[in-house]
Amino acid sequence: MNILDVNNVSKQYARHLALDRVSFSVREGVIFGLLGPNGAGKTTLIRILNQIIYPDSGNVLFKGQPLSANDVRQIGYLPEERGLYKKMKAGEQALYLARLKGMEHMEALTRLHHKFEEYGILDWWNRPVEELSKGMQQKVQFITTTIHQPAFLILDEPFSGFDPINANLLKEEILKLKAAGTTIILSTHNMSSVEEICDEIALINHAQKILDGNLFEIKNRFKKNIFAVEVSNEENSLADDLQNDFEVIQRQTLPHSIRYDIRLPEGKRANDLLNVCMRHSNILSFHETLPSMNEIFIEQVEHFNQLCHEKE
Amino acid sequence: MKKNNPVLLIIAREYLTRVRKKSFILLTILLPILMAAIIMLPVLLMINSEKKQHTHVLVVDETEIFLNAFEPNDNVTFSYASGDITTFKQDILQNNKYNCILHILDNSQSLKSNLYYKEKVPSSLSSFIERQMDNIFFDRILQDSLHINPAQFEKLQELTKADVTTIQMDDKGNERENIAEINEVIGMVCGFFIYFIIIIFASQVLRGVLEEKTSRIVEVIVSSVKPIQLLIGKIVGIALVGITQFVIWVMLTFGILLVAQIAAPSLMSGSVPETAVPGAGIAADTLPADFSIFQKINEYFSVSFGEIILCFFFFFVVGYLIYASLYAAMGSVVDNESDSQQYTLPITLPLLLSIIVVPSIANNPNGDLALWFSMIPLTSPVSMLVRLPAGVPLWQVLLSMGLALAFLVFCIWFAAKVYRMGILMYGKKVSWREIFKWLRK
Repeated sequence: MNILDVNNVSKQYARHLALDRVSFSVREGVIFGLLGPNGAGKTTLIRILNQIIYPDSGNVLFKGQPLSANDVRQIGYLPEERGLYKKMKAGEQALYLARLKGMEHMEALTRLHHKFEEYGILDWWNRPVEELSKGMQQKVQFITTTIHQPAFLILDEPFSGFDPINANLLKEEILKLKAAGTTIILSTHNMSSVEEICDEIALINHAQKILDGNLFEIKNRFKKNIFAVEVSNEENSLADDLQNDFEVIQRQTLPHSIRYDIRLPEGKRANDLLNVCMRHSNILSFHETLPSMNEIFIEQVEHFNQLCHEKE
Repeated sequence: MKKNNPVLLIIAREYLTRVRKKSFILLTILLPILMAAIIMLPVLLMINSEKKQHTHVLVVDETEIFLNAFEPNDNVTFSYASGDITTFKQDILQNNKYNCILHILDNSQSLKSNLYYKEKVPSSLSSFIERQMDNIFFDRILQDSLHINPAQFEKLQELTKADVTTIQMDDKGNERENIAEINEVIGMVCGFFIYFIIIIFASQVLRGVLEEKTSRIVEVIVSSVKPIQLLIGKIVGIALVGITQFVIWVMLTFGILLVAQIAAPSLMSGSVPETAVPGAGIAADTLPADFSIFQKINEYFSVSFGEIILCFFFFFVVGYLIYASLYAAMGSVVDNESDSQQYTLPITLPLLLSIIVVPSIANNPNGDLALWFSMIPLTSPVSMLVRLPAGVPLWQVLLSMGLALAFLVFCIWFAAKVYRMGILMYGKKVSWREIFKWLRK
């Protein structure tokens, strides 16, 4: 079941079109990567999902119903530009934000205490936020984003500003939330984190959605028939045979092995490649290399920009 | 009412964070103490000088006009001597026989005298002596040169004193005694007061909006509540802070004065003994006149006190709301406080102008200038209050209120539109043209 359906959403600002008939759906319980270069329209889309602004046309369905003011209680939002009241005490502030999300005073207080303890910042409950380190502020911010246990979580560049250790903790938290059934939209430039945790993605460029779907399917769709073979020893003829029948992209001599990256030409199958290798070497490993999300991102965006350019 | 009403939560936060600030507590408590001190200080000083100082003046009069003529009081006594001034000076220097010497020189042209002392004497002593000398000399000339009895002269003065009372008539022909000076003072006080309240608290709204924008928390909050709810919560919260501060100020000031009165009843009842200070004779002359003015203020208030309070409250609320919403809108389109000034200037200018013209309006409360300034909504909160004590036709008051209310509706609409867009704009300057585009959306 879809928790979110975005249908033909357009948004025009005074000088430019921020979103141009964007449609996609997010299934319940997945981590959904919202990708795109700077200025593509991601922030506008996220603000529409948070009902901070409204689309000029098109609509957004939340759990099958048009998005309404009451839904904000089921949505958690971590904006890219983090911010808390600097002079306000950390605990008091978290309580205030939790209550704005509709939580009862006592319930919010108990749950916040637990969370602050879990994150090791309970001692800082009564300190103004400006006295906390940046990492602690990030923790407070993340707690306030999730304290009302939203069914749907929107994280805009969640890893920016975290050191590797805290970034890893955050990743684990995100996966924990997913395991508990939370649907998460992750807007990011960090493609490695997309590969690690996203199930589905949508790629937005110049206000338009240019790609969406399951991450694995997309990688398969854009695969270029490249295989990596690692062999422990080789006869001299292996390199020649490979060169004759296939396209050798790269040959690397590793300490105890040799690695080939090979593209299959039209009409050849992986088994053909294996046959050649088997004849001339001991195979250590053999696998298909799928394109990285980074490659797909750059390729698709550049391809799209070129199309736009030609149209003009 | 719905539980967890977000506007109430926002009001509570805006209110509590400000009220708990050290600067707020300090200012709220210190100011009344300062006020009370300013009121009581002169009285306390009087008491001090009354207790301590008794001044003995030796009069060495070469003219002999003033022989035995000075009138002593509780604090000052006079004795008279003639002879060489230097020997009397030695008396002061060596054995403190008297506190000071009044040496009146015989110099035919003008009345010249010196007051010698070693240890400090009350500063009012010389004026006390001067006055007495004036009177004595005047009476002497009346009697000796013009052959007029001073007592008769005084009677004549009283007889010929003219008194012009200004009486205002309203539409129904009711008459009301009117004192222009008091109108001016009351009007100016009310006007300045409204001005300061608007400036202080409306600019707090501006700063609050800026704080939320620059700290970027606004995006988190507007994902939970509507921007207009945040705006309303902030404006109302800060208004409550202002009211709290005002109420505490009034209560504390009166409280301190009350305590002082109980502690020392004679001090505060206004019956400071005339003779408490050397020189109190001056006060004795002018006091009755002052008293009659006070009585007239009371009479005056019994007529239109309610009206003034009502209008004050109305223009305070409406004026604050107009400026607070405009300031909030301007605060939302900038990124830092120094940039904000170019946007707030067009709004602050009318307010400044209304303060600049306060004296002219107070002087001529029914002139053209006064009429126009009390009708234009950005200036009317100050200008109408300046005019009010002098009596303003009812239709003008109602028209001014109506215009202010209509303008307030416009301001709220304007602020809601601009604020909603402004708080989400980062990094670039918003032009006025762009703001007008938002309005048309």
